[in-house]
Amino acid sequence: MAADPRVQEVLERALAEVAGARSTSDLEQVRVRVLGRAGQLTAVLRALGSIPAAERPKVGEQANRAKAELEAAIAARLETLKAEEHRLTLEADRPDLTLPGRRVPPGAVHPITRVTEEIIEVFEGLGFSVAEGPEVESDYYNFAALNFPDDHPARDMQDTFHLSADTLLRTHTSPVQIRTMKAQRPPVRVICLGKVYRRDILDATHSPMFHQVEGLAVDRHITMADLKATLQLFAREMFGPTSGVRFRPSFFPFTEPSAEFDVRCFKCGGEGPCRFCKSAGWLEIGGSGMVHPNVLRNVGYDPEEVTGWAFGMGIDRIALLKYEIDDIRLFFDNDLRFLQQFAGLPGR
Amino acid sequence: MKITYRWLQEFVETDLDARAVADRLTNAGIGVEQVAPVVEGLAGVVVGEIEAVERDLGTSAAGHHNRLVRVALPDRRFSVVCGAPNAAVGVRAAFAPPGARLPGLGEVKAARIRGVVSEGILCSEQEIGVSDDHGGILALPAEAPLGADLSTYLGLDDWILDIEITPNRPDALSVVGVAREVAALTGAPFRFPKVQVAEGETEAAALATLDIQATDLCPRFCARVITGLTVKPSPPWLAQRLRAVGLRPINNLVDVTNYIMWELGQPLHAFDLDTLAQHTVVVRRARPGERMKTLDGQERALGPDMALVCDPEHAVGIGGVMGGADSEVTASTTRVLLEAAYWDPGSIRRTSRALGLSTDAAYRFERGGDIEAPPDVLARAAQLMGDLGGGAVARGALDAYPAPRPLRRLGLRLARVERVIGASPSREEAVRILQTLGFAVDDSGDDLQVVVPSFRRDIHQEDDLVEEIARIWGYDKIPLTLAGGGEIIPVKRPPGLRVARAMSRALNAAGLFECVSWSFVDPERLARLGWSDAAALIALQNPLSVERSALRPSLLPGLLEVIAINANRQTPDVRIFEVGNVFAPHRPEDGDRPAHEDLRLGIALTGLRAPRAWFNARDRVDLYDAKGMAQTALAAAGIADADTVPFADDRVPAYLEPGRAARLVRGGVELGYFGELARPAREAFDLPASVFVAELSVTALTALPPPSTRYEPLPRFPAVQRDLAIVVAAAVTAGEVEAAIRGMGLPLLTRISLFDVYTGGQVGAGKRSLAWSLTFQAPDRTLTDAEVNRLHEQIVAEIVRRFQAEVRGA
Repeated sequence: MAADPRVQEVLERALAEVAGARSTSDLEQVRVRVLGRAGQLTAVLRALGSIPAAERPKVGEQANRAKAELEAAIAARLETLKAEEHRLTLEADRPDLTLPGRRVPPGAVHPITRVTEEIIEVFEGLGFSVAEGPEVESDYYNFAALNFPDDHPARDMQDTFHLSADTLLRTHTSPVQIRTMKAQRPPVRVICLGKVYRRDILDATHSPMFHQVEGLAVDRHITMADLKATLQLFAREMFGPTSGVRFRPSFFPFTEPSAEFDVRCFKCGGEGPCRFCKSAGWLEIGGSGMVHPNVLRNVGYDPEEVTGWAFGMGIDRIALLKYEIDDIRLFFDNDLRFLQQFAGLPGR
Repeated sequence: MKITYRWLQEFVETDLDARAVADRLTNAGIGVEQVAPVVEGLAGVVVGEIEAVERDLGTSAAGHHNRLVRVALPDRRFSVVCGAPNAAVGVRAAFAPPGARLPGLGEVKAARIRGVVSEGILCSEQEIGVSDDHGGILALPAEAPLGADLSTYLGLDDWILDIEITPNRPDALSVVGVAREVAALTGAPFRFPKVQVAEGETEAAALATLDIQATDLCPRFCARVITGLTVKPSPPWLAQRLRAVGLRPINNLVDVTNYIMWELGQPLHAFDLDTLAQHTVVVRRARPGERMKTLDGQERALGPDMALVCDPEHAVGIGGVMGGADSEVTASTTRVLLEAAYWDPGSIRRTSRALGLSTDAAYRFERGGDIEAPPDVLARAAQLMGDLGGGAVARGALDAYPAPRPLRRLGLRLARVERVIGASPSREEAVRILQTLGFAVDDSGDDLQVVVPSFRRDIHQEDDLVEEIARIWGYDKIPLTLAGGGEIIPVKRPPGLRVARAMSRALNAAGLFECVSWSFVDPERLARLGWSDAAALIALQNPLSVERSALRPSLLPGLLEVIAINANRQTPDVRIFEVGNVFAPHRPEDGDRPAHEDLRLGIALTGLRAPRAWFNARDRVDLYDAKGMAQTALAAAGIADADTVPFADDRVPAYLEPGRAARLVRGGVELGYFGELARPAREAFDLPASVFVAELSVTALTALPPPSTRYEPLPRFPAVQRDLAIVVAAAVTAGEVEAAIRGMGLPLLTRISLFDVYTGGQVGAGKRSLAWSLTFQAPDRTLTDAEVNRLHEQIVAEIVRRFQAEVRGA
């Protein structure tokens, strides 16, 4: 049986219009015209009641099939048109992918803080707490308790800023060791850090203010061999796995035996010739030794019961070495062009 | 201290070369800073004699009277041009024939000078490289062997070791002291200088008398008398040795005192005996107001704790520090009283510091002399002085040593070495080390019984012996062990450090850079900054400069200096902060801390808010940036809601612009302030643009109760938002309006957020438009429009009533 000519006509015309729609809104108009509430195909379906009953199912079925076909065509056309319209939209607003991104450039901690953090992390990993103390100290904590006799040239080793007869700017962080030990019983494992002051004229390698970190371990069975191993471990964490330490005998009133410790040059690995370590193969880093029995007694510990080691080093010096900075004054000028160089460094 | 390698070799028979010796010493704590040849580039220079003057060549442009002289060597003669005033016939001198090498000049060649050929150079001390003296040729004694190699003859084929001796080791401040260390380190035999003195008939006691009154300051005073002396220059070998170690040769008598001090470590002083009244030496304290003229020609005011060497009439020297001008050895001296004493170290140090007078003698005495040394040292020195001055040493020594000091005895448990060091040499090795260092050791019991020699003042207790053994045995032999198995101690950080780090990180993320500036400030600049409380400043007694002469009472000056430095270096946009202590006088709560220290976080901002970029507006920072950064930092420290409290009108710090600064307070605790830097303060630091600052006390905020973190159930019913836009008089603050809304106590109003502030044409002069977003929410139901409208109207009514506000868009 031939198709109902009206349905067929509506369908063919509508399909042509769908194919001819140039935009999604054109297409929507076609949809409304044919399939909308007052649409042509809708009208055919509505008029089914007025045609002979025998033809009704056939026409109805034709109309429904035409509707489905048309809806599919509209959907397909819609997809095509949307893609095209999207493409045009993007084309109209083409980005310049090379433009800088909308960054919020981060600031940075000062290189000295950065190195301090690294040192803290290494020692926290070894079970050391961090201790701090006042920068203005009494003669007792800075010298006397640390076994510096009165009127002894050992005091000249650390040229001191005085505030009054009995008060001074601490010349090292060692008074923090005394305060820490006075406040607790052994065992003790701390690092003490902060600013220290010595009456040195400011030049490329000296500063009247600098930063120190000291370590202190007091317990039964602590030996100089532990000190050496701890510093070796520190050197490797700080300067790389091939680093090592060397002890040279020295004198500090608060340690006995005392040792300067050097770290194998991490630029030349001790192989020289090397501008960095002046071909010595070693870099002088700090002082160390076994806590003097007099110091242990001064804080109420019994040197027969416990022994301890201590070390100290300049944080500024480590930062100078680590970042190959040739003038300590750069730290305190705070030129942003200098500080910015530490913004992008990978953290530990 | 400098010593020479050959001098050292006189006392220790080592076959190691100078550099090897230096390395061993350094590894034992006697740090050799440098090893250098006495002269470098000297070869072929010999002892020659000026035999005749051949021709006069006239005076040169430089004023030298040049002559052509004939120089004789045993086998040859040379014609040499010489302009030295001391070049006379019969003089033996340093001569560099063609082919010889001189330090500055290189190879010597025959050269045409003033029309004649000069076959070599008669050399000055400067040309030889032993001093800066170019005033004449280096003349040698008549007995100098003709043709002998000058290097060998003068001992120039030697090495100088520059050694740094730590203050605990005065015994090592001498050639013999270092030799003893080398002997212990290498096992080479150590030879103490032979002391043999050929004494004359006259008794010293008949020539001079000692009267030591201040025995506390001078526990021992020894003297010898040498008579029949002739003052003349020292022999070249001695003069050269003194020069090599940095001393200036003066004459044979004075040079002996310096030479022996360098060799044995005991300072000596030579008095012209005939200048001493009654030939008597008195040692006493200085009298009130007493003055004297020291050897260096300076008139010095003396104090009662200073020991003076005197005769019965006047002071002739400051004991252990410096001799007096009136009693010094002069060209006419024939009789010498030679002093070797032991002075109280503390007293010497106080005297030397009080007078600002540091001498080689004081340097040694303040570290501690050897109280047993004087007799032997004097014998050796007197003998040498007698030999060099053609004099006789009087019989016997004068020795005032009223309270002889016993030698210290210590027990040493070898187990203690192991306990402290973690390893130990054998018992035999430990005993050998101590013995070669001069300790007497009794090895018969379980523990060693050790007698400490008088020159080792640094050895007080057992662990001091442990160090001696360890350092000579070698620190490189100490193994590496990590103490394990001990008690576990929780790892802690001080709260200030922890909180400051959190705040720093937040500010870093916001683009600020951390600075480290000086703890020192310039009080004068601080005053120009507007700091009014000068009395609360802590001043240094001995600052390096006035710019760094007080301790900072605030982080502000340091931060402003950083801005100034950067502005001068074409960096006008600066956003920085610093964390550090500021200082104030001691307060009761500081306990045994001598000053009040407050850990602060300071912020300073100037210039553009964000770097110039295609996506950034070119806005400059303002007051709200400073406040915002302070709040960002506080939030990182767990404080989300500090109150902004205005300064009382008379309390605005002078460095802040009145009306443009406020305090940040939480729960009655003062946390800090923010504000715009006042103009005079800006000018004090020469800052080109407006600066906005904030300063917070990390100490104060770590003392606050820690923020409690408790979960709030998420709302289950939707929130409703309404905007409230009002126009009020410009004087009405946003904070007042918000406080009024909050004060209504509406439980359903859960959030108030200011989103717009506008002044301008549309709102009229003297007025400001403010707009808030209000959020309403109930925990148990969905609010109806009617409910929200009612609440909103209540709020509007309240605001209109309280602030004569007009509601916009209502």
